[in-house]
Amino acid sequence: MARLSDTEAAEKLSRGRARMLPVMAILLITQQGAYFSQSQAERLVDHVRIGAWFVLSAVLLLALANGGAWIYPKRVRDLANDESTRAHRDKALKLGFINAMVTCLFLYLVSMVSRVEAREAIHVITTVGLASALLSFGIMERQALKDG
Amino acid sequence: MAERLVNRIKEKRGELGLTQAELAERVGVTRKTVNTVENGVFVPSTLLALKLAEALSVQVEELFRIEH
Repeated sequence: MARLSDTEAAEKLSRGRARMLPVMAILLITQQGAYFSQSQAERLVDHVRIGAWFVLSAVLLLALANGGAWIYPKRVRDLANDESTRAHRDKALKLGFINAMVTCLFLYLVSMVSRVEAREAIHVITTVGLASALLSFGIMERQALKDG
Repeated sequence: MAERLVNRIKEKRGELGLTQAELAERVGVTRKTVNTVENGVFVPSTLLALKLAEALSVQVEELFRIEH
């Protein structure tokens, strides 16, 4: 098989990332459904589940912040994280931050009438902020990748 | 009234017989970036605008103009 040039590899990386990140956002949201619908007993399985959510959130945040795809050579990653990608990422992070702040304000209001556990609040805020940023980034990237 | 950056990248690229991918390779960006700039979706930095002009052998003013 012919070796891909750096530009072709970067294109492939961009396409894969644009497909993957929204899927990961949906997975993250789905995990919240499971978290809130199941018992919060302090069993080993609950700790594993919460630990898995923490690891996924941290990896996705890192991937969103610096582009991810760490298995690719740096020159390919630099190419894939070119000017338009960085602009999309900045817009997505801005949207994610605003959504996280709006969620904080909403939870503050909810806490006035109902008890909100710190862990639940953290789950909701992180998920809203991260998932909206990932979805937004994925949508912008997919639109940009369409043949012009 | 809103101002808009319009460009002649597609036209100039066509004159040189270059694809978006080939132009992207010359400039050192992905085809996606060339595509978004060409379609007016993304406003390039000065650096990228100059690189695009250089790659297409034109002055940057020939490639980009502001439409009122």
